[in-house]
Formats: sequence, structure tokens, C-alpha cells
Amino acid sequence: MIDYKKLGFKSGLEIHQQLNTGKLFCRCQSLLRKDEPDFEIKRKLHAIAGETGKVDVAVEYEALQGREFIYQGYEDSTCLVELDEAPPEMIDEEALKIGLQIALLLNCEIIPVTQIMRKTVIDGSNTGGFQRTVLFAQNGFIETSQGKVRVDSVALEEDAARTISRENKKVIYRLDRLGIPLVEIATAPDLKNAEQVKEAALKIGDILRACNVKRGIGTIRQDVNISIKGHPRVEIKGFQEPKMMIKTIEKEIERQQENKKGKSCVRNAMPDGTTKFLRPMPGAARMYPETDLPLLEIKRNLINLVKKDLPKLRSEVKEELKGVGLNEEMMSLILKGERLEDFKELLQIKNEPNLIAKMLVLWPKDFAKKLNISVDKIMKKLNLDVLENVLQSLEKEEISRNDLQEILFEVAKGKSIIDALKVDKISLNEVEEFVAKLIKEKPGLSVGAYMGIVMKKFKGKVSGKDVMEIIREYVE
Amino acid sequence: MRISEIEPGTKVKLKTRKGNFACRILESPSKEIILIKLNSGYNIGIKEEDILDLKVVKEKDDSSFRPSQFLDAVSCSSPVPLPSAQKGKKNNEIASLSQEKPNIALVVTGGTISSRLDVKTGGVKWLTKTDELLKFYPEILEIANVAKIEVPFMKASENMDAKDWGKISEVVVKLLNDSSISGVIVTHGTDFLHYTASALAFSLGKLNKPVVLTYSQRSSDRASSDANLNLICSARVAVSDIAEVVLVGHANSDDDFCYALPATKVRKMHTSRRDTFRPINSKPTAKVFSDKIEMIATYNVRDNKKKIKIKNKFSDKVALVKFYPGQSPDILDFYLKKGYKGLVIEVSGLGHLISEGKNSWIPKLKKLTKKMNVCASAQTIYGRLHPLVYSAGRELEKTEIIFLKDMLSETGFVKLSWILGDKEMRKEVKGNMLKNFAQEFNECLGEEEFLN
Repeated sequence: MIDYKKLGFKSGLEIHQQLNTGKLFCRCQSLLRKDEPDFEIKRKLHAIAGETGKVDVAVEYEALQGREFIYQGYEDSTCLVELDEAPPEMIDEEALKIGLQIALLLNCEIIPVTQIMRKTVIDGSNTGGFQRTVLFAQNGFIETSQGKVRVDSVALEEDAARTISRENKKVIYRLDRLGIPLVEIATAPDLKNAEQVKEAALKIGDILRACNVKRGIGTIRQDVNISIKGHPRVEIKGFQEPKMMIKTIEKEIERQQENKKGKSCVRNAMPDGTTKFLRPMPGAARMYPETDLPLLEIKRNLINLVKKDLPKLRSEVKEELKGVGLNEEMMSLILKGERLEDFKELLQIKNEPNLIAKMLVLWPKDFAKKLNISVDKIMKKLNLDVLENVLQSLEKEEISRNDLQEILFEVAKGKSIIDALKVDKISLNEVEEFVAKLIKEKPGLSVGAYMGIVMKKFKGKVSGKDVMEIIREYVE
Repeated sequence: MRISEIEPGTKVKLKTRKGNFACRILESPSKEIILIKLNSGYNIGIKEEDILDLKVVKEKDDSSFRPSQFLDAVSCSSPVPLPSAQKGKKNNEIASLSQEKPNIALVVTGGTISSRLDVKTGGVKWLTKTDELLKFYPEILEIANVAKIEVPFMKASENMDAKDWGKISEVVVKLLNDSSISGVIVTHGTDFLHYTASALAFSLGKLNKPVVLTYSQRSSDRASSDANLNLICSARVAVSDIAEVVLVGHANSDDDFCYALPATKVRKMHTSRRDTFRPINSKPTAKVFSDKIEMIATYNVRDNKKKIKIKNKFSDKVALVKFYPGQSPDILDFYLKKGYKGLVIEVSGLGHLISEGKNSWIPKLKKLTKKMNVCASAQTIYGRLHPLVYSAGRELEKTEIIFLKDMLSETGFVKLSWILGDKEMRKEVKGNMLKNFAQEFNECLGEEEFLN
């Protein structure tokens, strides 16, 4: 067991999460593209001194000498702002709103007036030579089982261009990622042990996922800062999942103990739990005001508006769903598939939580397997309109509950919802006609016998329950 | 102590309703808001009413917050020799020039290229020392010695007028007639740079040495500033044989090469792009790389021995009017009443103004041309006026208006101002307006001279 207290272990988290909106300072879509770019722009950067002039320009100059940056763009989704050919537009309002949601869920205070800053970045990953960033919330906290963890700051910033290839003096970037809004969350160095680091990361992840953020690999970046007594701070980047945090932190502590003379540096988290030197710790970021934009005022009424409609955390939603009577497995599937909103809407039509859950998350998978097409395509066919329609028909008793899956399967196969519902109606009438005729022709048989004949005739096109009900009407 | 009394740059400890900060006070754009710089580098605003307590930590912490250091740091550690900066010499005399490199002169007039970020206000201000420009863009010194720097004034180009053109000409001609100088670079704001380019082309006449106008669209605080390549290529032209007034700037969005563009056939065509200046009804004069020049057009060759005489009087009684649909000709009365001597009207199509109905310009123009010099230029920007094609044009021709063929409106405006400013030339305005002084006419418009 590691004695964290004795080690003087200190740790803080820094999390970057892409928001699911358009770009932060232009009105382009945030769309990562795999198709061939339409054009390339060739640029150079030159050495500059920052606001306080503390930079060793000579070093920077050497580093930039002869370096060339190629930026790939698309005619229909790259604009002059990304090309550093036009001033920025005002901050994306939706991104700001989501940022505020996240900050409020982190119990932060919102800064009512703030300034958009340029953070100098000269590796070419930003066409302008800087990244725009704005601090808008501070002094928050999250609760963990081991106590409160302070959240120092929440900022909104532009993501950098995506590296496509890197040679000695030439780096190729793609502009699709440049400018996608990121929320940056930094905790205080309050984390007392690896377990708490992981718990805090999961907790913040829970808050982020409650809001409209991008999902999938590369959309969240989690860095952990660690120091122990006698070793300067080390930043570990590139955690793919919080699961690995404990193992990685423990190994890093071991490494630091064996290597007390180590320098402050940035290290990469490797899949096996070890870390690998990435680069020396950068100096304090050089920041100066974005002179093309006015001060950012976050008005009280916007904050109130956001407060009124704060999304619920996954943990809270789970509690709520339990109350509705949904079982644990279905609950997880609904949340994982991000169908909560749809679920709630359908529940208003018919209060059958488990049936609705099946319609939303289980059947589409079954259909996809049966029809050998992707779940996505099935989902598109079984959209909310279709599901609402089917449930309304069920509520009005126009169709039978037992036919629900079959009707949706027909829709999945390509039938329109109207046809799928109609077919069923006709078939019930047909069944009734057939039953009436049968009883006339062969009176006196047992219910079971009639049942057998009818079921044989309609072969699975009709549910036994429905047939039974019809027969009973005539026989009794 | 009241916040408003604290000098920007002061380090303070603030207690506020929104938390406590160790920070620096910055100059704020608004009275109600105190702008502070946090230790993290971020700037945030605090409402004055939210401040509970303030303690000054150390008056004027200049060790790390002297705005001038923004520049000093560059001069201290720049890897290329910076003769002007290192020795603390005064403006205009620059020590330790390299024997192998030609000498050039710099005329600094303002614009984004001569401005820098002001850390106190967060706004953009003029460079305060003339050689600061070189500290931002030291690469220019690899091509030439900047032997002289002149600053006739510092203005955003939209604030310049006809007098300023005369002033710049005067400064430039002195440098051209200085045998130690190989060529002159004029740095200038972009908005009206093409007007100044025309003014220099007319006032300087046939040249002995290169005169290069250049600019930047992206400010110097950015590592991506376009000024770097523009200045390098300008220096390349200034030491070349091209004895013409040319405007040098990005040819496209790449930091690859610049165009040298003929001074009277160039126009700002984009609000923000670095390749904003385009040749109109003309080809570029040359393609300029940081290490070579590829000629496109023929040019007047350097003749160092030749001395230049200038005609640098420009009349400020000239106006440029854009004709719009339905416009009443009454506007002409205004200019006449105000004592204007010349007018360039940007006419429609091949050379038309309203020629029928109550708003017809014809009767008024017929009278006006007897009292004032009126010219017509094409508001299509590209192409040449052909007033005889339609009857509207033929009607207009009868008014004695001077059709400026393929000359740019802006060039026409400057030229009319130049001709009316000169005692001799103004005796024969029409003849002089239609005489080709500085390639302002292109007799043979080609396929490649559109949208380039």
C-alpha cells in the first residue's frame, strides 16, 4: 500500500472537453473530416515577444527558422477566420451557454465581465500563432467520497488544428478541428490519492456528459498533475480512460521515488500504465488581450436562464428512472444510447417504461442483426415520429401490444408506418371474418380447436392473444 | 485609495465579493469595470461595487510589467544584428552598416504595420520609436542595411489627405537623391494605400531607384503577421533594378511570395485578407520571393546617377462621387457651391448616368463642365469605358465629361488632384488627364487582367 500522506502526494486534474456546437469564434460547423481536403495554405511563423517581454526570442527564432506549416482546408467548411485571414466573430452563444451549465454544475462563480485572451502558441497548430481563450468561472468544487475538491477555473478555448503529418521542418495540419470549442476545467491540487483522482475525473466526466458535449475518442483530454515530496511537478497527459488512472499514478509515484533528481516535465500515459517523457514543462503561458473583440459580459439574466434549466447528472437521472420503474439494465442502455429525452417523451404517450425502453434500445439491435444492416440505419427508420405513432395506436387500442414488435420490424424493413399499421388492422378484421365463418361452418368445437385452425391459417401474422379474444367473443 | 487613482500596472491584492485576487490593475475600457490581470495571465473585469478591499503590493512593479519591454526583449536577444537597436543610437543615424549589403531607407507613416499592442489598454497603438519596426521584423536586415528611417507622421491611412501625399513625396525624393541609398520602402496603412501609391507615381515621375510601398493586414503581435514576408520582399525589390513605384504584398494566402504591383493599377479588394491588393486592368510587375525576383512586366531600369524632381502639389478641391440608381444630379450643385474644382464620377456600365426623365444628369452636367473639371470612371472596377455603345453614353459624351478609359476611380481621383494642384498642368486638364504619365492607362487589356 502506498502511504500517500507520507509521500506528500499532491495532485490536480486538468480536463479539456469539446462542446457539441459550431466553432467558438466563427460560424462554421465543428466537423472532423476524413475526405481529401480541397486546398492547402503554406505559412510561416516568426518569433515574437509576449506581453511582458520575458521570452527568449532568440530561442524561438531558432526554433522557427525555416519551418513551414501546411494547413489543409475545405471549400465548404473552412472559413477566413480559421485561415487567419479575417477577424474573429463574437463568441458562439451556444458554446457559452453550455460552458455556463458546466461551470454551474461545478458550483463555480461566474465572472460577470471578462476578456478574451490570446495564448501564444507557436508550434503552428493555430494559424494565428495563438489560441483564443477566456476564463469565465472560478472558485467551484465537486464532492467526492473523500471530501471536497476545489475547481479553480473554467475557461472556454479554441481547439488546435489537427496534425496530419510531421517532418523535420514541415508540419501538415488540418483546419477542421481548429476553433472547436473546448471547456477547460482545472481543479486545485486537492486530490489526496490515486483513488480520489479517479473518482474526481469520473465525477467531472459525469457532469460533462450531462451537457451537450461531443462524444467519442479524442473529444475529451484528461491531464493529471502529480508531485510528491522531493520531486517537482509532473504533468501526465493522454489518459484514454479514468480506469487506468490508479495504475498509472502508482507507477509514476514509483518512478518519481527512484528518480528524485527528475525535472518538472510533461509525460505521456502509456497503455501499460507507465509514462513516457514528452517534453519539458512549458513556462507560464504568454497571454495578451484579443484586441479584435470587446470585453465579454456575461449578463445576470443569461446566468439565471441557464440555472433554471440545468441538465441533470447521470446519477440523478438514474434515481429518477428507478422511480419510474425501469430496471437497472434498461436504464443503463437508455443512458448509454443517449435516448433519455426520447424515453421521457414516449413515456408521456404511454406509461410503459420497460416496453418503451425495449423499443428504443433493444429491438433496433435485434432488427439490425436480422436484416444485416447497421443499427444507425434502423434507428433512422424507427425515429421518434414512428415510435410515437405506434404508441398512440396502441394507446387507442387500434393495434395490439403483441404486434408492436412485428409492426416496427416491418417499418425497419422499409414499409411506411401508415402501411405497417394498416396491414395489421386489416388482418384483425380478416381474422374476425374468418373466425365467424369457421364457427358457422364448424359449430361446437372447443376453443382450443378453433384456436389451432385460426393460428394455422394466419401463421404468426396475428398474436394468439388476439385470436383468443376474438374466438371467445363468438363462442361465449 | 480609489481604484481610479491607481496607475495601470500596479500590483495589488483585491478582496471582492467574487473572491480574492493577487493581480495587476490594467487600464480599463469602461469606467464601471476594473480590468485586472491574474497571475495565470488571464484578464478579467471586476465591477467597482464588488470590491471590498484593496492593498497595493509594490508600487509599479516594473521588473515584469514595463510595456516597453515588449520591445526591449526582442532587441536584447535577437539573433540577427540590430545595429540601430543595440547601440542606443538616436533616430535616423544607424551605426555599423554592413559593407556588403546595400543601404535602403524606410519611411514610416503609420498603419497596422507600424502599430503594436499596448499592454496597458489592450488596444493597438503606434510604435513610439522609429526603429522599433526592425525589432519586430529583423529578417529585413539580412537583405539590406536600413540606413535611414524617416517618419513624416504616424497616421491610420483613412486619416490621410492630399497634403500628406505631398509630404511623403518630399521625404521620398530626398532619399532617392541620396547617393548612399539604393531604394526606399514606405510602410503605410492599407485602407488608402493605393491612393498614396498613385500619388507617389505621379509626383515622383520617371524614377532613378525603386520606391516600394508595403503594409500589413495582421498585427505584429501575431507570430503569423504578414508584415514579415511583405517587408522581406519589399527589401528585395528596394535593392533591385526596378526603378518604379510598386506596391509589394502577399500574392495569395500563402507565406510564399509577394507581388510587386504597379502603383496606379492596384486596389484594396478585401477587408481583411493578406493578399488584399490586386492588380486591376493590369498584370503584376513581378513575383517577389524572399531570395529572388521573377519579372512579369517590363520596367524602368535603375539609374542611380539620375536626380529626381518632384511635382508634389495636390489640390484638395477634388471629389469622388459614386453614381447610384435613381440618384438626383442635385449633388453636383453641392460641389459647385463648395468651390470644388474637379469631380470624378463613378459611372455605371460602359459609361452611363441617368439620361432621361426628371433625374437626367445631362442638362446639369453640360453647364457644370464649363465651370469645373468632371471625369467619369467605371464603377465596375474592371474594364474600360466605351461611351459610344449606347445612346445614354453618347448623350453623356456631349456634356464634355472626360472619360477615364480603364483608369481606376481612385487613381483618377488622385491624378485630377495632382493636375489641378499644378499651375502649368491645370491649364490643359483634359489633355493631361488622358496622357499616360505613370501607366495609369493600359491600351491593351488582356485575358489575364481580370480577377487576379
